[in-house]
Amino acid sequence: MTAIVPPTGSITASTATPWRRIKSAMATTGIVGSLFLALVPLVLIIGYVISRGWSLMATSEWFTGSIPILTRAAGPGMRPAIIGTLMITGAATAMAVPLGVLGGVFLSEYSGGSRFGRVVRFFAEVMTGVPSIVMGIFIATIWVAANGFSAFAGALALGCLMLPVIIRTSDEMLRLVPRELRESAYALGGRKAGTILRVVLPAAAPGIISGALLAVARAAGETAPLLFTIGFVNDTNTSLFSGNNTALSVQIFKNATQVYPGSQERAWAAALTLIAIVFVFTILSRLVSTFLGRKHQS
Amino acid sequence: MIHSRARWLVALVLAFGLLAAACGSDTKKGSGGGNSTSSTTAAAKKLAAATLNGSGATFPQAYYETVISEFKKPQPAVTVTYGGGGSGKGQSDLQAGLVQWAGSDSTVKPEDMAKFKGPFLYFPTVAAPITVSYNLAAVKNLQLSPDTLAGIFGGKITKWDDAAIKADNPKATLPADAITVVHRADASGTTGNFTKYLVAAAPTAWTLGTDKVVAWPTGQQAGTANGGVAQLVHDTAGAIGYVDYSDAKAAQLVFASIKNADGKYVAPSVDSATAALAGATLNADLTYNPLNAPGAKTYPITAPTYILVYTAQADPAVKAALQGLLAFIYADGQTLAPTVDFAPLPAAILGKAKAQIAKIGA
Amino acid sequence: MTTTLEAPALSGSQRPPGRLLDRTFRGVVLFAGALVLIILALIAGTMVNKAMPIFRSEGLGYFTHDVWDPAHAKFGTLAFTFGTVVVSSLALLLAVPVSIGIALFTTEVAPPWLRKPVTYLVDLLAAVPSVVYGLWGILVLAPALPGFYDNIHSVVGGVPILGTLFSGDPISGRSFMTAGVILAIMITPIVTSIARETFTTVPQSLKDAAHALGATRWEMIRAAVIPHSRSGLVAGILVGLGRALGETIAVALVIGSSPQISAKLFSSGDALAAVIANQFGEATGNTRPALIGMAVVLFLVTLVVGVLARGYVARAERRTGGAV
Repeated sequence: MTAIVPPTGSITASTATPWRRIKSAMATTGIVGSLFLALVPLVLIIGYVISRGWSLMATSEWFTGSIPILTRAAGPGMRPAIIGTLMITGAATAMAVPLGVLGGVFLSEYSGGSRFGRVVRFFAEVMTGVPSIVMGIFIATIWVAANGFSAFAGALALGCLMLPVIIRTSDEMLRLVPRELRESAYALGGRKAGTILRVVLPAAAPGIISGALLAVARAAGETAPLLFTIGFVNDTNTSLFSGNNTALSVQIFKNATQVYPGSQERAWAAALTLIAIVFVFTILSRLVSTFLGRKHQS
Repeated sequence: MIHSRARWLVALVLAFGLLAAACGSDTKKGSGGGNSTSSTTAAAKKLAAATLNGSGATFPQAYYETVISEFKKPQPAVTVTYGGGGSGKGQSDLQAGLVQWAGSDSTVKPEDMAKFKGPFLYFPTVAAPITVSYNLAAVKNLQLSPDTLAGIFGGKITKWDDAAIKADNPKATLPADAITVVHRADASGTTGNFTKYLVAAAPTAWTLGTDKVVAWPTGQQAGTANGGVAQLVHDTAGAIGYVDYSDAKAAQLVFASIKNADGKYVAPSVDSATAALAGATLNADLTYNPLNAPGAKTYPITAPTYILVYTAQADPAVKAALQGLLAFIYADGQTLAPTVDFAPLPAAILGKAKAQIAKIGA
Repeated sequence: MTTTLEAPALSGSQRPPGRLLDRTFRGVVLFAGALVLIILALIAGTMVNKAMPIFRSEGLGYFTHDVWDPAHAKFGTLAFTFGTVVVSSLALLLAVPVSIGIALFTTEVAPPWLRKPVTYLVDLLAAVPSVVYGLWGILVLAPALPGFYDNIHSVVGGVPILGTLFSGDPISGRSFMTAGVILAIMITPIVTSIARETFTTVPQSLKDAAHALGATRWEMIRAAVIPHSRSGLVAGILVGLGRALGETIAVALVIGSSPQISAKLFSSGDALAAVIANQFGEATGNTRPALIGMAVVLFLVTLVVGVLARGYVARAERRTGGAV
């Protein structure tokens, strides 16, 4: 059905009273204005972070040096936090993605219309809205109290945040795979598990990977789940299970309330580093869905 | 044949056992050597690898951070961290066993004693003034008496040109601006000591009692940690707040001279804090109270700070490391203190504190 | 069909491993699905258990008293609930019109080549981590706003209700309003995205009919697009509300950490999630159960809002045939 566009300078325009046309123009102005209203903060924030954080981040010491022990010292060094963020997010991803994809498989392939399936889908969606601070307190209460601070505790909290999101994305992507694909596989004698693993999942892979990358991007920026689970260090700790650790988000939070310019500078530079990491994953996610997704379109 | 194999096995096991015992006692001797409480740290033996995680008061944070970075040089195998977070956090982290040492400016309340995993020791480390920092372009040498302080922080005095402030500062021209009071948002030993001082020096004017968290009147601003209060005072015109001396100086804040028990207005400094420590009486558990001390040159809001450590230590390496750290604080650490604007302990307290180190793990 | 299928050999020896794989796979997948329920149940169970002492000792007063004084064992959370409600409402008031505007721009006003770039740009707002919003808020926005607040106050100061609302001592800029503004920026992307998806499901025939009857663009939007999208828009508002209620870090940094119940939007306050973030690390004794109790409240409220949102999404889907 082709759209009927009101031709310019035609009957419609000339029969509309000036007041109606003014109203429409005002509305259009308002609509365009709201776009600028949203973009202005984006430009301001990114602008500030780059301008205040770039000089400290563009040094090699930023990526190789330890966090200065003296809070009031000026100067670079955020390696423990960068490694911490990557490690904790990586561990959380390693736990949440397989379980999340399998959960999505359950919802789209095995639950049918069963009541249990509907309950799981409902609560998975609801769980995506749980505040991240609640996850942090939960893990702090059941894990940290018994096992102390560790990167793994932070990864558990982040994993709990990521799990429902990945389940939902996987479920949606799997449901988009055409039924004919599965039926042809069964017709050729395949069993259910084999079909899912060899046919359906690969078909849905681009969408699932794209969704997972987006979840990773969100998780890398989280602060609240890590506040009470990972502790504090100045030097890089590459051990996942033992010893305190730190992360970029927590460092930014700590330094945001400091009075010393050196601390605040580190906060800005850490913010820039964190935004860079998040943007890389977000852009990767877009690329995967655009390019790999296209390949699989029938 | 089985008989000879068994004999070989027994011999091997015995030999292994002897070796292990010899090695075990060697390490014990090694860490025992690090136990020495000699006054020069250079003489202390190298400690075995250990991690000492600490958290707590932000009042002495600059000092502990300096100690940690200096302690690394003679003892590179020991990793020490100090996460700050306030005296309340230090106490609760130690209660949960999440840290090996805790910094606290205030003593533990009797009802909280049972929450700790066992008996613990107070180790006084340094002392310093709590400054009353303010942000008023027009006035550089503000003087405040305890009653005026109580009025300001209690919310009763709301403008800078109030009669009480004028009485304390006859020569100054005070603007008619509103006072923005900044207090601590988190559970703070600095709040505890500051309010303890107000209770002692202005008992009728101060009605909010003393604790790490106090029911401040509404309309005030709250900062997280000493740094957060300093940040608010620094950025807000007309603000006033209590900040530890080291942070206030490093943030280039302006602070008031406070009227001490002898009636003199004294500015905060390492010397005026040391004067306040001179007459302090030590309790049996090594806590003491230098607030509102007598003396013409004493700064009345001089606060103590302690390191809390469990008496029982399961890990010998941690125990040795703790003893080494404390020995360092009581030796080189005391000379380091004034360099970051903290007052070292007087000889009487220092001697008793050094002797208490041996009680760890006893 | 571009995907190649592997035709498995139909020999008899294939069967037993296949069946085993099937069964184990089914079990694993079932477990993964149930994991969500297990975790949710664990969260609810542990937290309610830990918060029980405070519910028992305080009773309803926990929710209705406004004095929070842990030192004297007074745990009233009303001031925090007030702060959370006020800040979230402000965020919605500011964000929803802007989000609807952006969504309308993308679907109705923008030329086709501009649609995707604009969508990406607005989604970038969602990619910025919450702590970076907080950092910018506390170091840049909050110090810059007091002058702005003073201007607003001097304009509406005389008006009865508005005068009180737009007042308060904004010296440090950390206030309900500042937190509301930051939250509004943060929830705009998600509300925009849902609104946009809702608007794209409006049948072209409806819009064409409006045009054929001589409607201007605005009249077409009012008559065809908005009424058709009611459920979707409500869903978007609810999702934004849920996001705003749970947002912790940015609010904790700019709200001022001074719990009070006040109609003055430019004064400092405190919120549920923010006070938990600020005080949980040092909480002992009864304070920890009290803070966990607040987390339980947050959990329940976001659950309810999430359920409501899901309901409206389902209603919108039924109307549009599953497109939202």
